[in-house]
Amino acid sequence: MPDSPLALIQAFMLVVGCLFFLVGTLGLFRLPDTLTRIHALTKADNLGLGFIVLGLLPSVAGPATAAKILLIWLVALAASATAAHLVGRAVRATDGSGEREDRA
Amino acid sequence: MAYAGSAAIRTALLLLTWWALTEGDPAATGFGLGAAPLVALLSLRFFPPSPLRPQPVATLVFSGYFFLRSVAAGVDVARRLLSPRLPISPGYVSYTTSLPAGSPRWLLANTLSLLPGTLSVTLHGRDIELHCLDTTMPVSEDVARTELRIARMFPQ
Amino acid sequence: MILLLDAVAAVLLFLLLLGLLRIWRGPAPADRMLASQLFGTTGVALLLVLAESQAEPALRDVALVLALLAVLSTVAFVTRVLRIANADSAGEQHDA
Repeated sequence: MPDSPLALIQAFMLVVGCLFFLVGTLGLFRLPDTLTRIHALTKADNLGLGFIVLGLLPSVAGPATAAKILLIWLVALAASATAAHLVGRAVRATDGSGEREDRA
Repeated sequence: MAYAGSAAIRTALLLLTWWALTEGDPAATGFGLGAAPLVALLSLRFFPPSPLRPQPVATLVFSGYFFLRSVAAGVDVARRLLSPRLPISPGYVSYTTSLPAGSPRWLLANTLSLLPGTLSVTLHGRDIELHCLDTTMPVSEDVARTELRIARMFPQ
Repeated sequence: MILLLDAVAAVLLFLLLLGLLRIWRGPAPADRMLASQLFGTTGVALLLVLAESQAEPALRDVALVLALLAVLSTVAFVTRVLRIANADSAGEQHDA
């Protein structure tokens, strides 16, 4: 089992997933403002989650468990897109009021 | 007739979700078989069937496109972050969509947040305001391509 | 495989901690709200990996709930921020 080709592919997927999460965290430190940080967090982390899910799928107990992991993935994707949009809107709204203060 | 069809589709989807949630536990199947049709009927009272029905083939094509583009999005962000110069030029871009209100427009806004370089910030009627990681990229063309694929999913 | 899964879990936990440190520094409330995003993706991945390595299927339910709660907490935060922003601009109009 440990050295079967499938296990190697799984290991590769899991490691790549970790690397994308690493990049997402790097983005939190390197990027200059909230909105660009959201870009890094949503895109890199979602890809990381995708690779981790693909790496886990072949070795789960049964098709129902695999379906559940895919369901969680879909929920996490939708959650992340929605949360990104909402935080973006909040940042934009506070931006706008800031500009108005400048003009006043 | 459309009502019965929607009820059947929703029941099937709910059963599939239930099967996944309980990880196929046979002890829970009875409850799912009883609850799924009831929940489907209840959902039809709250959310009546919409005239906009996604076409199966176009939906699959869109899913594939979305999958590939979101991989590209992750790679794009990674490339920019790992480059020492940090090549970004963030800014806002407005886009006016021709998609009908409701699920198509909502789908476009949400999808754009996961595609390369764009993040939907506000949605007022037809106008979507996007935040872009790199405004020098052809953002509008990219958005238009995604929009076209969503439009094909919901033929009028 | 279990060893690899535990290593992946350790890396994810470390990244979660690092992210939290960054978020703790803020400075804006919206920056701090990114913590819910962080838990919505990194936390979910961590729980899915642990469910596999510890053979603990209940952790998958935790992952699902975490993903859902991430959105709800963001909604709660955003409605509050928008209300404050609206109240501010209404106040300015009164001043003018």
